[in-house]
Amino acid sequence: MKRVPCSGCSLLCDDIIVRSDGIFIDEVVGACIKGKEHFDQVTAKNRQTSPMHREGNNMKKIEWDQCYNEVTELIKKSKKPLLYGFSTVSCEAQLEGIQLAEKINGHIDSNSSICQGKVIERSKLEGLTLTTIGEVINKADLIILWGANPAESIPRLLNKTVFSRGKFRMTGREIKTLIIVDPVQTASFGVIGVRDLSLMIDPGKDIDLIRVLKDECCTADSIPSEGVAGIDTDDLKRLLLHLTGAEYGVIFMGQGLLRPKNDYETLKEFLELIEMINSKQKKGRIALITMGGHYNMTGFDHVALANYGQTGNLNFRNNQLEVTEKNTIQKISSEDFDLSIIVGTDPISHLPANLSSKLMKHPIIVIDNKKSATGEIADLFLPSAITGIECEGLAYRLDHVPIELQKIINPPNNIPSDEEILRELLKRLKDGGS
Amino acid sequence: MEFILNTIRKMDNDQAREYALGDETTLKEKLAIVILNPDDIKQLNIKQGSIVKIYNETGFVHVKCIQDEKVPLNMAMMPVSIWSNQITRVINNELEYKNIEVKIEAVDKPILDLKSILQKIREESR
Repeated sequence: MKRVPCSGCSLLCDDIIVRSDGIFIDEVVGACIKGKEHFDQVTAKNRQTSPMHREGNNMKKIEWDQCYNEVTELIKKSKKPLLYGFSTVSCEAQLEGIQLAEKINGHIDSNSSICQGKVIERSKLEGLTLTTIGEVINKADLIILWGANPAESIPRLLNKTVFSRGKFRMTGREIKTLIIVDPVQTASFGVIGVRDLSLMIDPGKDIDLIRVLKDECCTADSIPSEGVAGIDTDDLKRLLLHLTGAEYGVIFMGQGLLRPKNDYETLKEFLELIEMINSKQKKGRIALITMGGHYNMTGFDHVALANYGQTGNLNFRNNQLEVTEKNTIQKISSEDFDLSIIVGTDPISHLPANLSSKLMKHPIIVIDNKKSATGEIADLFLPSAITGIECEGLAYRLDHVPIELQKIINPPNNIPSDEEILRELLKRLKDGGS
Repeated sequence: MEFILNTIRKMDNDQAREYALGDETTLKEKLAIVILNPDDIKQLNIKQGSIVKIYNETGFVHVKCIQDEKVPLNMAMMPVSIWSNQITRVINNELEYKNIEVKIEAVDKPILDLKSILQKIREESR
């Protein structure tokens, strides 16, 4: 029996017990449904374990050497390669990916830039009070889920934060208040207790609630008598009381607050609200944890920031990082690319169809350990080992804490890791010039 | 009828799982759906399991209708997938996955499977 972290989602639970002889995994104990399914992917019937290339409408198996040659040929022909994904690979693979982009003068970005990475980007201007899961367990007496539904997306988050007992919270659930702000009665509402607060906000009206809370932080009794955004005055007062009275509060923020910029910026005002509350708070503070789903989405931000000074959207020209105003969405929209290298993600499923159709106009190389819609239409597919099961690597948990993922068994057909594939491509391009 | 569409992540309707562990049938069964309030379903004059067309200025998609009383009136929810992304959009160079204005109506048309929907996107790219 061995204790390992699970790379099934961004919580990276490090208390999973597996029984394995090094060849097969016989038993997994302590994983949620999502984690269990992640381990099941090792022997999934749809898993590809050989590299493939496109012949007409079909994908045909080829040898690794031929596959690497075909990939490097496509890269050499490309003038504007786009590298995208990297949120379900290790930090080591992310660094190899960035170095590959530097070598081939590409544009590289991760899923983070269209998801929770927006918060890190925005926080450069507004500031950000972060915390860790450990601190939440030990200290939090207020837990807010704002536009987040961890019961379905990060299943063990509530066990670890709401139902846990910590150093200064030995009474556990009894001392913790849970507040959920959501337009839909999600599965997470199922854990609401009598002293908790469920706020069914009108869809898209988060900005109105944020502004009222900001006003109330400055001027007492500015809550409108008719309530705001579908929330009545009594609930608003209770919310404000908890926000300003908690000893240690944490807001888990979901995708619901990441609206595109209109005539206002929800995210900007949300971060301002947290800072205002913290300046008003006399005895405690409120911190923020973003709820990215992919297990190492946060990692790319850290790797890129530590090595190249920005969290994503890295554009290289003449093997140098270049300042660009264009984000990846603009790059795809304006077809400012002629080849895409997709690593560990599925943009054809994730992106709006009009962007998918633009990706499809140019050759697509996919490196992934599972089947996907993007893999279905790829020109070349390179299967990789599953990090955290078949190979080791570093990943950043959703609270920005680095966790070492471990190898438990050998991958089928000895397929290489994402890191090894990217390193081999980089080596071949360096040896052959580009 | 007009609705506000939110794309969501649901444990039972997870595209990564369906691609890895499911097949063409379960992929369509689990992901090509829209979840509506039962009262809205009555208003649309359809039943649970009926096929509806969801459309806006971006595009359209045919999916199966599922009822859930927890969904607010005039709100539609779809699991994130290639089907929901037929009607999501780009605004100010950012992606809009939430609070998208759509119209929904009953249709007597088939739901496209993954291969057909990929073919449709490919044709649009030409």
